[in-house]
Amino acid sequence: MSKLWKEFSKGLWKELPPFKLVLGLCPVLAVTNTANNGLGMGAAVIFVLTLSNLLVSLVRKAIPAKVRIACFIVIAASLVVAVELLMQAFSYPLYQQLGIFVPLIVVNCIILGRAEAFASKNPPLLSIADGLGMGIGFTMSLTFLGSLREILGQGTWFGMHVTWDGFEPFGFMVQAPGAFVSLGVLLALMNFMENVRRKRRGLKAVEGPSHDCGSCGACGSSSKC
Amino acid sequence: MQEYFLLFIGAIFVNNIVLAQYLGNCPFIGTSKESGVAIGMGAAVVFVATMAAAITWLVQAYILVPLGLGFLQTLAFILVIASLVQFVEMFLKKMVPPLYKSLGIFLPLITTNCAVMGIALICQREELDLKTTILFSFASGLGFMLALVLLAGIRERLAVRRLPIAMRGTPIGLVMAGLMSLAFFAFKGMI
Amino acid sequence: MILTSGLTLFGIGLAAAAILAVASKLLYVKEDPRIALIEDGLPGANCGGCGYPGCSGAAAAIVAGKAPASICIVADAEAKLVIAGIMGQEVIEREPELAIRDCSGGSRAADLFYYEGALDCVAAHQLYGGSKYCPDGCLGLGSCVRACPFQAIQMGPDNLPIIDPEACKACGKCVDTCPRGVIHVAGMSSRLLHLNEVNDCLAPCRQKCPGQINIPRYIEQIKAGDYDGAVMTIKERNPLLVTCGRVCPRPCETACRRQYVDDSVGINMLKRFVADRELNSGKHLPIPCAADTGKKAAIIGGGPAGLSCAYFLRRLGHSPTIFEAMPALGGQLRYGIPEYRLPKADLDWEIQGILDLGVDVHLNTKFGVDVTIDSLREQGFEAIFLGLGAWTASGMYTEGEDLDGVMGGIEFLTAHALGQGPDVGKRVIVVGGGNTAIDAARTSVRLGADVTLMYRRTRKEMPANPEEIVGAEEEGVNLKFLAAPARVIGDENGRAVALEYFEMELGEPDESGRRRPIKKEGSESTMEADLIIAAIGQRPDLACLYDDSDSCPLETTKWQTIVADENTFETAVPGVFTAGDVYTGPDLVISAIGDGRKAARSMHYYLTEGQIPVSKNAQKGMNPLSLFKEIDNVQHKDRAVMPHLCHGDERTCTFNEVEGALTEEQALAEADRCLRCGTVCYDQDMEAQLPLQEHAAQ
Repeated sequence: MSKLWKEFSKGLWKELPPFKLVLGLCPVLAVTNTANNGLGMGAAVIFVLTLSNLLVSLVRKAIPAKVRIACFIVIAASLVVAVELLMQAFSYPLYQQLGIFVPLIVVNCIILGRAEAFASKNPPLLSIADGLGMGIGFTMSLTFLGSLREILGQGTWFGMHVTWDGFEPFGFMVQAPGAFVSLGVLLALMNFMENVRRKRRGLKAVEGPSHDCGSCGACGSSSKC
Repeated sequence: MQEYFLLFIGAIFVNNIVLAQYLGNCPFIGTSKESGVAIGMGAAVVFVATMAAAITWLVQAYILVPLGLGFLQTLAFILVIASLVQFVEMFLKKMVPPLYKSLGIFLPLITTNCAVMGIALICQREELDLKTTILFSFASGLGFMLALVLLAGIRERLAVRRLPIAMRGTPIGLVMAGLMSLAFFAFKGMI
Repeated sequence: MILTSGLTLFGIGLAAAAILAVASKLLYVKEDPRIALIEDGLPGANCGGCGYPGCSGAAAAIVAGKAPASICIVADAEAKLVIAGIMGQEVIEREPELAIRDCSGGSRAADLFYYEGALDCVAAHQLYGGSKYCPDGCLGLGSCVRACPFQAIQMGPDNLPIIDPEACKACGKCVDTCPRGVIHVAGMSSRLLHLNEVNDCLAPCRQKCPGQINIPRYIEQIKAGDYDGAVMTIKERNPLLVTCGRVCPRPCETACRRQYVDDSVGINMLKRFVADRELNSGKHLPIPCAADTGKKAAIIGGGPAGLSCAYFLRRLGHSPTIFEAMPALGGQLRYGIPEYRLPKADLDWEIQGILDLGVDVHLNTKFGVDVTIDSLREQGFEAIFLGLGAWTASGMYTEGEDLDGVMGGIEFLTAHALGQGPDVGKRVIVVGGGNTAIDAARTSVRLGADVTLMYRRTRKEMPANPEEIVGAEEEGVNLKFLAAPARVIGDENGRAVALEYFEMELGEPDESGRRRPIKKEGSESTMEADLIIAAIGQRPDLACLYDDSDSCPLETTKWQTIVADENTFETAVPGVFTAGDVYTGPDLVISAIGDGRKAARSMHYYLTEGQIPVSKNAQKGMNPLSLFKEIDNVQHKDRAVMPHLCHGDERTCTFNEVEGALTEEQALAEADRCLRCGTVCYDQDMEAQLPLQEHAAQ
């Protein structure tokens, strides 16, 4: 049980994507203009990630190593198609809002990354815990970033008016530049907190997670790492 | 003719695939530490994105639509793109070794690059014809390359600056990308 | 519907698979299967330390034979063995390399910037592309810290990068990154082979030392309490530090910038301090040697030049053999320097340390008699070093100099060292002003004679070490300046009884910058003596080079020295090298040691590559830019005084060592006087600067 909890909880803070584990930046930047979009996207990712982890874990022994990446992609893509259909059926406006980023969940590094790094090596239960934890962490991050940008950029939160009268929302935040800058500043803040914590323990300050999604792609397809 | 020109310019500057469309951010931040790498990666994306958009257009038009299987778009596209990248790698290795030498190591990174798949999907959503699809995807790839090389240039200079330790690396890269994106806003008035 | 979609997907998948399968057959590039195997064996860090783009590039290079199996700097020995196994090679152990930072500037860098309005060195670097006064110094930007893939570099408190030797893999990323070229990667051999170059960061002392010892580094190490490290730093240039710590006339101290504040740093005292620490521990510090090359080299002459040459050849992995004509090694160190300056026991200990590295010795083997160049070649010695020394005393060119009771300085000292007990009688006259003259005079005092030292110029022009002159005076040697021998007067038995001499006066300076002594006509006087020692110069004895038909394969000069290339030390005969007094004429011990190393370097290249590289940038003279006459903002600190070990009668009647070593406390204080100079920079006292700043604030 404690092991399950460990795998689950690591995604909530220790390896919180995308802040600690800098993976899957595109949806993070693209769909966090409102808290609602962030939450919706997060939910879709939880669904795909948990199920793909489960499926990969179940078939992990049956797949030959050479074609495993292709199989992971097919599994993820099938799940994404399912999500697309579900969203079209139950939450069409959100599906419209998220646009091409729903199908693009397929190429989100988190899905392949977790499949390759965790699910292909661990039993189904642990893989579910990992996927669920990572997914919830990802959702939390997206919702948080979405809230921040929505409140500052539109003065609302989940569509509710939350700021005082006379608050002049700055449109910058909902636009692309705002997305980049606010994510950059948030990452820096996380690094700063981490360094303060390390300093208290007498350790050397570090530069924070190095972002290498490029190389996660390399892991994915050239059977390295 | 003018229409094509506007589409071309618009795809590079106004609707820049990275800075305005939020696509391909992972390699944008990941491979922008050195300009040499950025140029290689950018060129590889231009190449693969154009080919992928054209082929997925054909798949969509001649297989999925006639069979009424539009919902399988995602699954079909990723299969096609993944196979394409593999094929291109083999092809270049055999036929054009010099090109393979300069682009080859970046090709595997592209399979999971959402810019490539994203461009193909945008072409479908905008319902472009084959000619426009090729032009648009080529221009979008160029836009990606432009943004990537520019950011790499900035980050190379930043690497020798004294920054607060928490800002070093990815955070400052993202802030710089934000500033570049802001600068690219200026092109909005162009068209 | 489900069937159609399933079939479609299956169809697409099948088509893709078929195309790929066909393509992989058609477009098959014959790739060595070993590439994939090796790639699996590599760690996959893609660090680029090997110089290839990523591990797959390195694997391809290994298979193509462009790179050795051990190219990967990250892989452990086991992985390298696996890779070598795939390639069917064996792994030869590679000499470990380390990144080394060459700048001592650090926070001083800020002072050295030519600001042009920019507020700090970083700004200046950005605005003017680093128009820094010092062309080489560290900017303190820390780019190397970030560049290091192994977290082996940290910024130290004085804004200089500190390299952790444990973590450093010598990948060279820092070298590529450094905008100043302050860091280089070197292994032991390349450090031993490096000769000073004009664009190195060379403090004046380092430029002046004929042995090119990295003086600032060893003083720094002493300051940090790393005494063993200091010994190892010295031993990269000078294997005879116990000896030099005692007898070196310290050219370095004449270049020390500190002399313009108070007094030069006691560099040699510090050398002696660490050398004596090793000596008193009784255990030689382990000295690393490169892997054996199996090349044999013959060293003729076991003096300082020969010992140095043998030592460096051994450390570079070759097998040197020393052939010595005398019954013991050491040359002039043993036979020319008296016991009270350099105890024989200490010299023996130091020489033993060199021999223990694996140097063969043949004593009592005369060159020209027992061995010749040809016989050595036949025995398989591919390179030969001639370090014959300068053993013949020059004559006084006066009437009666071949009478009994007239001896050359070096003859006298050698006879004494060999225990032949030369008879000094009651009164001794020593002619000459060099260290040999003083040694002869002080030795005669200890043998119970009344000694007069006669020199044709004044005290100021004497080439001997000043404290040697003082020591001689303290021990009761009479100094007779401005006097030159005219004639030796003998008795009826052909024995010298007195010396007739001229009074001299100083005229115009000659080319050596010293004023030329001029004979005062009609000033002849006579001084009685039982023994006259002429210590006015030495020259090599080259008789051994001539064969029976009186021909010599080597070119010689009129001063009886051997002619050799001034950069490579190779003589007219290929594979025969020379250095030391036989090449330069009588010179300092440290010059012989330094040239011995340079000759060893040439021999190393001759033995391994056949070609001896000569750098165009070799540093020869002093860099005028580095010579200051004024030193600002440094507080006075007194120079340490060398303690004396024996006093009074004991000093003049025995040969016990006179000078002692500093205590640890004194040594640390002396090391603290070092200004940590670079080529143009030095440390200023922050306290001394304070009043200035306060002044500026007002």
